[in-house]
Amino acid sequence: MENSLRAERGAVSLASHSGWRDQSILLRFMSIALFAGAWEIAGRIPVSFAFPTFSDTMVAFVKLVADGSLPTAYLSTLQPLLLGVVLSAFLGVGLGTLCGLWRAGEWLLIPVFIVLQAAPVAAFIPMVTFIYGIGMTAKTLAVMILALPVIVLNTYKAVRNVNESLLVMCRSFLGTRWQTVAKIILPDASPVIFAGLRLGVAAGFVGVVLAELLITPTGIGDLITFHRSRADYAEMYATIGSIIALSTLTLIVLQWIEIRLFRPEKRGA
Amino acid sequence: MTKLSRRTVLAIALAATIGSAMPLGPAHAGNMRIAFGDLPGIESIQTLAAIERAKERGVGVELIILNDEDLAAQAIVGGQADVGIGAPYTLIQKVGVPIRLFAQISTLRFFPVVNSESYKSWKDLDGQEVAVQARGSGTEAVMLLMAKANGITLGKISYVPGSEVRRNALIQGTLKASIVDAANRRALEAEAPGKFTVLPVDNVSASDEALFATADYLKSNAADVDILVEELMKTGREITENPAVAVELRNKYKLLPDLGADGDKEIEEYYKETAEAGSLALNGGGTDAATGDFAFFSLAGQIEGDPATLKVDDFWDVSAIDRAVAKLGKK
Repeated sequence: MENSLRAERGAVSLASHSGWRDQSILLRFMSIALFAGAWEIAGRIPVSFAFPTFSDTMVAFVKLVADGSLPTAYLSTLQPLLLGVVLSAFLGVGLGTLCGLWRAGEWLLIPVFIVLQAAPVAAFIPMVTFIYGIGMTAKTLAVMILALPVIVLNTYKAVRNVNESLLVMCRSFLGTRWQTVAKIILPDASPVIFAGLRLGVAAGFVGVVLAELLITPTGIGDLITFHRSRADYAEMYATIGSIIALSTLTLIVLQWIEIRLFRPEKRGA
Repeated sequence: MTKLSRRTVLAIALAATIGSAMPLGPAHAGNMRIAFGDLPGIESIQTLAAIERAKERGVGVELIILNDEDLAAQAIVGGQADVGIGAPYTLIQKVGVPIRLFAQISTLRFFPVVNSESYKSWKDLDGQEVAVQARGSGTEAVMLLMAKANGITLGKISYVPGSEVRRNALIQGTLKASIVDAANRRALEAEAPGKFTVLPVDNVSASDEALFATADYLKSNAADVDILVEELMKTGREITENPAVAVELRNKYKLLPDLGADGDKEIEEYYKETAEAGSLALNGGGTDAATGDFAFFSLAGQIEGDPATLKVDDFWDVSAIDRAVAKLGKK
């Protein structure tokens, strides 16, 4: 009797979504707390002389924000990042769609992007500086070199692998070529395109940090190298942590926007 | 069958990975592991020759080349290397790990270079933009010191890592005023004679490269350390007396083979200049070097506190150079 009751209760709690959602927030906070705790312990052992505790890092973070050095750094890091990501997004989705629809474009462009995606891109960055110098152009390009291939390839694959029966349906309703693209192909491909955009944005963050560490130290890259050279490891980790946090937040916001604006069917899930 | 073969492939891959990682394991015990913070170039001939001579006297040496001076210092603290090359004053002061400098190799030599169409002297640089290596670097400190000495204030200071990068930017005209090392200054004079003016630098004396190790290592390996310090001192003295020795040493020990035969001329010129400037340490630095370094690096912001109150013993272990000077005589 008791057993069956317990089973019933289990079924109820599984079925009631809201209950689970409350718990999932709790679990998420616990996951962060566990991570912070492990970090604190590792810092106190210490694992390495260059590994600060979690609390020291947080104090350093507050100090960096308060004295304005972190906001100033982000102001300069975000310029090439935003420019590069926005350009990559438009160019990438455009090129990817083109390659997905047009065979000649596919043969011409896709191999280039596959090579770019497979290449160890950090090795390209010195080459970029030879051609474009050490300014904003080089950094924006570094962001694009990393972000563009994944966006193009995802878009291309999504467009190429659109559900065949939907295409047949569109044709049987006498849909024009334009209608096929706008009403069938792009909506059907959008989940994968968005996944590609998110990956591209994440790659863009990698690109901008690489550029700032390898080309000229400005913004975040400057804070990292400067604090490392001064042996201010807490400040260094605070900076690194902040860019990871910003990148994660950006991805979460993107996902939220995607579900809110473009994919109403997933809103309830 | 597919399952079996896939498993075999994975097993082979795993075995290969582990196998290839093996040689990276701990080095032979007893060898002195010396960590370079940069690829050795012509400025390292003296050090490399001293290492070869120490080897001849029975010291086992293993060279580790790292990408960054900070990494070299971290390798010493972490115990992956025994002796580092550099001037890690910040680390010694901030990290509280007992690292000590034990012999100076050379002093800093940087050359402020300006485009002679725009500027002629230090006075012309008042309020102008200059490019240096990095925030808080030695190049920045030299520029600030000289600006102060000449009663001017520099305008915007931009950071462009790499002397050769700044050299190229000077030639292209993107930079009008910067500071480069000896090799790149000579390259500038060779590539664009008369286009650039080298501004004078006086009274700047600070360590460029010095040997450092943990206090424990210095204590427990005093015999090996003494041999290395003696050979370093001897090499420095020989090259200062006759710069051509640097080329002889290079050919004798086949140092920097990648440079080819053309390297000889460059090495001779480099050491002729270095010797004239008195940049190679003849007595291993020690207290005198520390005093200069305190003043310079606190201006660069790398050491905290009043230079006058800093204690040499907190940064240096002078016992090895004292012993070497006692044996070889003071120069």
